Amino acid sequence: MTKCAVCGQLFALGDYRSLSSHFYNLAEKSDVEHVMWLNRNITKKKLDETALEQQMFDYFDAKKDIRNWIKKRFIERFYGERPHPFVLALQHPSRATLLGYVLEHQHFLRQWTRSCANIIAKTDQVDVTLYEIDNINTEFGGYGPERPSHYELLLRMGESLGTTRQQVLATPPLLDTKLAIKTWNEIAVSDHWLETMVAMHGLELIADRNLKNEGASISYFDPAILSGNEITDATKDFLREGYEADVEHSEEALDLIAKYSSQLGIAENIQATFLKSIHAFDNYLMARLERGRQLESA
Amino acid sequence: MKVPEGCAICEATWGNYWAEVEGQRMFFCCEICEVEFRNMIAEVKHRTGWQTIDQIKVNGDQRQRECTAISGNRSYHFSIGFDSQGGIRIFQEKLARL
Repeated sequence: MTKCAVCGQLFALGDYRSLSSHFYNLAEKSDVEHVMWLNRNITKKKLDETALEQQMFDYFDAKKDIRNWIKKRFIERFYGERPHPFVLALQHPSRATLLGYVLEHQHFLRQWTRSCANIIAKTDQVDVTLYEIDNINTEFGGYGPERPSHYELLLRMGESLGTTRQQVLATPPLLDTKLAIKTWNEIAVSDHWLETMVAMHGLELIADRNLKNEGASISYFDPAILSGNEITDATKDFLREGYEADVEHSEEALDLIAKYSSQLGIAENIQATFLKSIHAFDNYLMARLERGRQLESA
Repeated sequence: MKVPEGCAICEATWGNYWAEVEGQRMFFCCEICEVEFRNMIAEVKHRTGWQTIDQIKVNGDQRQRECTAISGNRSYHFSIGFDSQGGIRIFQEKLARL
């Protein structure tokens, strides 16, 4: 099916005429989410329905390679001409930026585990189940004292920056973090397990250093900060873990997504849900920055 | 008040949403942009003490906009960013000439 990336309405496979009519009509009614989606993904200049249909077709045309389409859209959004402000701030991060990261990301990682658990609950594919078990352990459970989880490394980073884990755990998410988590939870609960996979593991591209070879203007952070004294050792441990793990995670996940989206014939649903997820992620990254600014001005 | 063409804050020409702001009927692509615009005007007036604003120039994207407000021969430069509900997330004064 073809699926609206905003409200989830379904249309016949490849029916971009109906999809574009749907957007056009809701834009005429100034529906906030549909107008914003057009502004950010297609064009800010109003088109007639025929021109919009062609633009929609071009935008979603994955040329039979959904892996590259996902990467292309991700790079456009976060690593294009105007990289995401959080990524810019993370090149050489201040203490406040890192604390903003800690305070918001704890909530993200809890949702991460819920989403992965939903995939396991819904899929009957063994390779997917094994992938998600490993992922939950890497991100949340850990593999004993020698290989602490990403979640544990995040809390240690917070401690190294002068806050306690009690303070971190007692801090509720900012509104945009909360809204993003709601989006991801709804996807996990309501959508196909493969859509949940792309919604979550597609986001790991943020730390995929290989994206620089595929058009990204910068990397997630300046790798030089891992070797100097600019950041604490616990921060290096946290960033290094993501830097090394996310390349593997996102590539493996993209392989699974490509394999099963083709087998199941739901590539267009995958595209729509991916776009919905990166929109939530964009707002969530802004919330990390907002938290950092709040700490700076406190 | 002279504002950007299209939506008064993001310049989009989608939508069909009109609202009276500062006694003037203005076009916005959606209601969030109206909320953003009203919040921006209120913040500028609060910070400058101006009673009226003659023109607003806006550049940038939804994450952060670089703006200039003009009142008479005075101009005020600022960066502004909004949360997803249109509330001001960041407001930074640039070189102000009041």
